[in-house]
Amino acid sequence: MSGMDVRITAEPIDNDRCKFIVSQPVHGGGVRRFGSVEEAAGSPLAEAIFAIPAAGIVEVIVSGNLVTVVKRSPTPWTAIGKPVGAAIRAALAASAPAVAPREPAASTDDESLYEQVAQLFETKVNPMVARHGGAVELIDVQDGVVMLRLGGGCQGCGMADVTLRQGIEVMLREHAPAVKGLVDVTDHSSGSNPYFASAKK
Amino acid sequence: MARLSSPRLLLLLPSTTYRATAFVEAARHLGVDLTVASDFPSAFEREQPSGLLTLDFADPPRAAAQAEAFALEHPFVGVVGVDDDTAVVAAAIAGRLGLRGNPTTAALAARDKHRQREMLAAAGVPVPRFDLAPTDGDPEALSRGIVYPCVLKPLRLSASRGVIRADNPAEFVAAFRRLGAILAQPDVAACGEPARRLLVEQFIPGPEVALEGLLVGGQLQVFALFDKPDPLNGPFFEETIYVTPSRLPDAIQQAIAATAQAAATALGLVEGPVHAELRYNDRGPWLIELAARPIGGRCSAALRFESWDEGGGKREALLEELIVRHALSMDLPGFRREDRASGVMMIPVPGAGVMRQVRGVEEARAVPLVEDVVITAHRGQRLVPLPEGARYPGFIFARGERPEQVETALREAHRRLEFVL
Repeated sequence: MSGMDVRITAEPIDNDRCKFIVSQPVHGGGVRRFGSVEEAAGSPLAEAIFAIPAAGIVEVIVSGNLVTVVKRSPTPWTAIGKPVGAAIRAALAASAPAVAPREPAASTDDESLYEQVAQLFETKVNPMVARHGGAVELIDVQDGVVMLRLGGGCQGCGMADVTLRQGIEVMLREHAPAVKGLVDVTDHSSGSNPYFASAKK
Repeated sequence: MARLSSPRLLLLLPSTTYRATAFVEAARHLGVDLTVASDFPSAFEREQPSGLLTLDFADPPRAAAQAEAFALEHPFVGVVGVDDDTAVVAAAIAGRLGLRGNPTTAALAARDKHRQREMLAAAGVPVPRFDLAPTDGDPEALSRGIVYPCVLKPLRLSASRGVIRADNPAEFVAAFRRLGAILAQPDVAACGEPARRLLVEQFIPGPEVALEGLLVGGQLQVFALFDKPDPLNGPFFEETIYVTPSRLPDAIQQAIAATAQAAATALGLVEGPVHAELRYNDRGPWLIELAARPIGGRCSAALRFESWDEGGGKREALLEELIVRHALSMDLPGFRREDRASGVMMIPVPGAGVMRQVRGVEEARAVPLVEDVVITAHRGQRLVPLPEGARYPGFIFARGERPEQVETALREAHRRLEFVL
């Protein structure tokens, strides 16, 4: 399939984050998260997105046919979307994989745990938090530790830690006992519509 | 992640609190089983019935009955409230279940500024002269019987919201109307009768301090005394910098602690956290407010505690851990505040408007001694200055060898922040 056949839909989450949904798989080896240019080395797609001028890209997450890009610049997604789309098309058209395989340090245990947690999030956790306008995104599982990001009404919510510890963590303990810990990588300060905005006390 | 069953704590968290993370993490750190009760249902309540509960915080006796029913299936051995309202609910629950806590009458008196002053004055605790006025009263007529300068206050609101100084009848009338409008706002009017009256009290000159402590069996353990180096002379009383240890002479600090103890005793408070605001002048300490709860906002992060075991090993704890330990009747082995000076700045509201951006956060964090800059307002949030407003846009924390260094660092960090509205 040539790059010209690839269809990409951009879905901005907010000013900082945008999901690009691609009509074909970009990376079939589970989730890959790149938090810096250095981490992107060896993965042509991530390298190209980090290299977009003046975009202030700080994170690229690739999973299946989904590419999530996080930036820290005021440049609108309407301006950044085009070069991101071009990078995706170019990476898919190249003979080398768009994303390098995960480092060997990431164990198969993590892979299977990732699938287990992803399933739990999809079937149980997200339907629950959706009632409060929230969303939970599984970022990665590394050494048994689940990394997630809260979005929508959960981002910046005064009760986010209660949701995390009393809700999600307890469910993980019950349904995925191999999980060793939980890390919330959400930037709660940039939440723009928290379900419960903190008052003074 | 699996662990054995431990003592269960019932933690009362209003859905709009800043305090959730600190208390939840304290309970986790202590390894206790935790049930979080709030005023709105959690998305996970049905899935996690032992860990999440909804209580009617607006009706403490009903909340106590609900908690009692919950305890039949999930017994808990301690209850903690984190603000003025949940302190009353916690007292009602503790009373009903025979747990460690304050009498409900005492928690109610601490929450009601007028009742508090009546009880303190009757017990001889120095408080400003005060009177109560109905919000539908005639301010012109009232203004003629006032001793100036005075301060108008709401009975229930916290953190200086609605507090206005008046130096003459014209200012009194303006302040009365302005406070009346605040009390008529839907979120305030919802508290009923307390929103239909306001307090008028004598303005007490002199520096103000905040005392943080814990009552155990009626005895006040002072954890920290914070100086407030920015003068609070009105017309509004926006909190800014708190720095501890206090730079006041020891004798004055002892007199302040004694006044806080006398106030707690007069109100009938016997167990749990106490946050008191006092002023000091040539007539001694004056009790301005005393609350049966810990310090508000994110400010508790300015407090760290240490203790040493017999082998010389150091243990560290945050304020919330000490409060949880006390509620569960766990030991408090000689914890005292760290030796270093510490401070927090509640970032003043930069103006009225919608917050678009905050610049200079990293530059502020880079100031020596500054440990963190936390912006709690979110983009798109409407910022409202005092006296109408009720939220700070964020907090700055610093630590150092001396209080004056900490104060300087906080001011320098604040100078580097730019709020774009």
